[in-house]
Amino acid sequence: MSRNDAKRPDPDSLLALTRGEASGRLKVFVGAAPGVGKTYAMLLGARRLKTEGVDVVVGFVETHGRTVTQALVDGLEVLPRRQAEHRGRAIEEFDLDAALARRPKLIVVDELAHTNSPDSRHPKRWQDVEELLAIGVDVWTALNIQHLESLADVVSRITGVVVRETVPDIVLQQADDVVLVDITPDELLQRLHEGKVYVPETARRATENFFTLGNLTALRELALRRTANRVDDQMGAYLKQKAIQGPWGASERLLACIGPGEDAERVLRRASQLATGLNANWIALTISPPGLDAEPAEASRLASVFALAERLGGEPLQAHAFDFAAEILRIAHRENVTQIVVGESRAGLLRRLRGRSLPHALLSCAGGVEIHIVPSGEGRARRRFAPSFALKGLSLQFVVAAASVAAAVGIGEALTALLLLPNLSIIFLSAVLFCAVQFGTRAAIMASFLSFLAYNFFFIEPIYTFTVAQPYELFALFVFLAVSALTGSLAGRIRDQRERVLKAAAATQSLYEFSRKLSGASREEDVLWAAAAHLHATFGGRIMLLVADGDALALRAAWPPDAQLDEAAEAAARWALQRREAAGAATGTLPKVAFQFRPLVSAGGVLAVCGFELKAEIPAIAPEDERALTAVLDQTAIALDRARLAGEAVKSAALAENEKVRNVLLDSLSHDLRTPLAIIAGAASALGALGEQISSAERRQLIQSIEEEAARLGRFVANLLEMSRIEAGGLKVGRDWVDLVDVVQGAVERSRKAFPGASLKVSLAPQLPQVRGDAGLLEQVLFNLIDNANKYAGDSAVAIHARQEDDMVVLSVTDEGPGIKAADLERVFEKFYRGGRTDGRKPGAGLGLSICRGLVEAMGGSIVAQSPAVRRRGTRIVVRLPIDGAAQIERRA
Amino acid sequence: MRPQRVLVVDDEPQIQKLLKIALTAAGYETLLAGTAAEALKAIASSAPDIVILDLGLPDRDGKDVLRDMRAFSRTPVVVLSARDREAEKIEALDLGADDYVEKPFGVGELIARLRVALRHAAPHAPAPQRIVLDGLLIDLDKRLVSRDGAAIRLTPKEYDLLAVFAVNTGRVLTHRHILAAVWGPGHVEDIQYLRVLMGQLRAKIERDPTAPKILRTETGVGYRSAETSEGESPREQ
Repeated sequence: MSRNDAKRPDPDSLLALTRGEASGRLKVFVGAAPGVGKTYAMLLGARRLKTEGVDVVVGFVETHGRTVTQALVDGLEVLPRRQAEHRGRAIEEFDLDAALARRPKLIVVDELAHTNSPDSRHPKRWQDVEELLAIGVDVWTALNIQHLESLADVVSRITGVVVRETVPDIVLQQADDVVLVDITPDELLQRLHEGKVYVPETARRATENFFTLGNLTALRELALRRTANRVDDQMGAYLKQKAIQGPWGASERLLACIGPGEDAERVLRRASQLATGLNANWIALTISPPGLDAEPAEASRLASVFALAERLGGEPLQAHAFDFAAEILRIAHRENVTQIVVGESRAGLLRRLRGRSLPHALLSCAGGVEIHIVPSGEGRARRRFAPSFALKGLSLQFVVAAASVAAAVGIGEALTALLLLPNLSIIFLSAVLFCAVQFGTRAAIMASFLSFLAYNFFFIEPIYTFTVAQPYELFALFVFLAVSALTGSLAGRIRDQRERVLKAAAATQSLYEFSRKLSGASREEDVLWAAAAHLHATFGGRIMLLVADGDALALRAAWPPDAQLDEAAEAAARWALQRREAAGAATGTLPKVAFQFRPLVSAGGVLAVCGFELKAEIPAIAPEDERALTAVLDQTAIALDRARLAGEAVKSAALAENEKVRNVLLDSLSHDLRTPLAIIAGAASALGALGEQISSAERRQLIQSIEEEAARLGRFVANLLEMSRIEAGGLKVGRDWVDLVDVVQGAVERSRKAFPGASLKVSLAPQLPQVRGDAGLLEQVLFNLIDNANKYAGDSAVAIHARQEDDMVVLSVTDEGPGIKAADLERVFEKFYRGGRTDGRKPGAGLGLSICRGLVEAMGGSIVAQSPAVRRRGTRIVVRLPIDGAAQIERRA
Repeated sequence: MRPQRVLVVDDEPQIQKLLKIALTAAGYETLLAGTAAEALKAIASSAPDIVILDLGLPDRDGKDVLRDMRAFSRTPVVVLSARDREAEKIEALDLGADDYVEKPFGVGELIARLRVALRHAAPHAPAPQRIVLDGLLIDLDKRLVSRDGAAIRLTPKEYDLLAVFAVNTGRVLTHRHILAAVWGPGHVEDIQYLRVLMGQLRAKIERDPTAPKILRTETGVGYRSAETSEGESPREQ
């Protein structure tokens, strides 16, 4: 990147600036709370400008009758207010149209967070202000920090006062000037006591909660910090506009430079520690030369490094450049970085010889940036196995090269015998190309050397010696060597690259599939199963996932699903959990165990342990696999963390819901118990205290109330007792032959007595068979159903009907009330469910139907609700009783 | 003088009937409302002198009625409710209710509370300067407290606390209300201050501080002072 380029201002910043110049300037006076003196400061400034000849108008200022403030307004031009009406009260509003017509240079509009009356053009005053700014009028306004949208939550948490009037943060961010009007909380409280802070009479109780030393201190902190942040942003914008190279040291920002090597994690952790200490944010940067794709193993390693960086709170960033040091510093300046963390040395041999390792290069042109160099650790142990693998490959390639050259010799001999070919180099070249395409560069180069020797030995005079007679043949031979080596290595490189690309594509594909699977899994269980299946598919062998719950470990997912954890394996898993390091096979801890266990670490700690089986002959996990594995485990950990948080959110929501249900239940119970009691107690006490002053007719009424309510209370208590008896299982169900006609008659008579106003229609099919059951309980069921129907029926009649259907007797009670929603048809049988409002009306604790269900089922029958029942209205409760219910009863008993 | 008018807001017809009989017998005129909407309409149009309000109404919560009516009316409100959670009581009182009576209730107690609320709401009743509570004489003019002629020495804070009760005789006062009045709005959460000072004050003024009669505790809500011995009943007005 050229120097000019580096110093070019950011185009977006310039655009923002031109926008700023076109419109009016907004100046916001920010305060921590009402009463800090925002209006006062604003008016004072306005007066000063007025004396300087600026066209200043007061658009809307509420002086609350304070003489000092009023005195400041006097002498300034004040716009008349618009008369509006809200909820029947006359109120005065800021007149936007008058302000637009007047179009002063500067207008003062107090209370930016104000909500306009419904007949206004904009719902909020800040929108009025934006309109003024748009036509080029400068606006001064005042804002209490609690009204800032993003702080509303925080403020209501701190103060317990719900903030309803809010201003979007962007308004404050885009303000040209922000003035913090600040006094200490003690002073403010003092002013409040002296009555200098205006508090409307209606809001006095609320403000008492609001003006505490703690609240004010917290609000002041918020105001100070918000303003400081804004100043920071402004500084950033200024630097970008003027293309001034950073860093600006107002707040610390770290840059961790990481390569794909072993040191990356150390560098990241160190950077994270530093950043935490400085309370700064940080970037994790990797650089690679442009145009060159990283090797697949390296790429997956990078992915896992980035995953780690994100876990540690860093912001990942990838860049391409030839000159690493220059690029790092360019990024450092662009991002206002103050400290760079870098590993000891990533430089190649050449650079090291020139004394230009990366840390050196950075140090020599760092300017104002601090450089931390993290010494490289050991971490070479894993490499041990690579050479043996490479050697094995090498010998294989040698065999292949030798074989193809031998074949070339054979073909050459045959051809010379048959055709007398003058030059056989083309045959050997074919052998070299074959090796290159099939087995890669190394095989090709070996083949070209072998061809060189074989060609010389077998075909060049004198034959069967390595000597060459003619000088031109020597020349041809060397040309052949050069050409074959070149073409061989080129062809081989193409093949190698293709293979690498295929491998990388496969690895990426597999990781992608996995992350897609994880993103679809919202529950912890799903994440675990997805991870187990994926690990098994990718790495083979058995997989186990154990979830940590405090110090305990539970096997939650395994692939194949029947995998079991033996004692030694459990010990290894426990080790992995407690020490946060790998344990089991191919590690230093409990290596005899067939599984290796790895902790799954996220920001919240060790969430789980993953165990995977290693085949006995593999002494360690191959580096490529290692990296892929780490990437998968990291992703799993993050997904688990997410699932767990989501689960907790659901749980706490359920808890809150439970609490609500409990309160509703208590309210309804206390209402139903207390209403009759209240009437009884009230009537009795009225008779006692005022007996002589009450007429005898009214006295009779009171006594009648007492009787009625006592009966109501009695029914309610009976229901409660019945319910607890059913719940406790102490219910005795008789098994006599029962004539339903008797039962219905009994229940109807009882109902007529209890609800004198109700109209009941009974229709029974002739010759109803008898059922087996308990006549008393059946009558109770029917009575409850009639009671219930009567509550919801209104003035209409309640119909009771019974008939035979196959081997059942069907008994139904129908009302023509409003009916039940389809979704609630089953819920009406739940305990404490009540139709309609919870507290409002219709007495009953929601026990009647649930008692009916308990009793009917105890007799071997069933009970359901149907709605609508008649002419799209009403509810029908249908009870089915078996004609021979004896068998069912015995089974229950 | 016309009888004072009581608006009864309760959806239970039996309660309405009972209160109508009892209040009429006690010399009040009674208006009835069964829903929140009816209640607000009655408050706006019939100008009752006091409202008895049930919190569980079929159309809206009684607290909503309280909130809405406070926007236009200062008529005293006595809440009559079956809900007994303290938070509900405090909320109702903070919303501007003057007192509450729990269901089930005694008619005598309800009428006494009505009387207290009406007296404090009376617009030009001269505030008494000498108040007698259970034999304790508080002279607000001279800032003197005595029992049976013997002066009782109070610290300034103790006197401030007692004075708050003296001008609100018979009324329930929430912790927050008292804290704001004695310590200022910055201390409305500091209930422990109040507990300590209450203990000291009771030890000086109560005949038996373990069974306080002048300053009684309303559990979870606040305190209530005894009725003044110079109180007037509405029928004498």
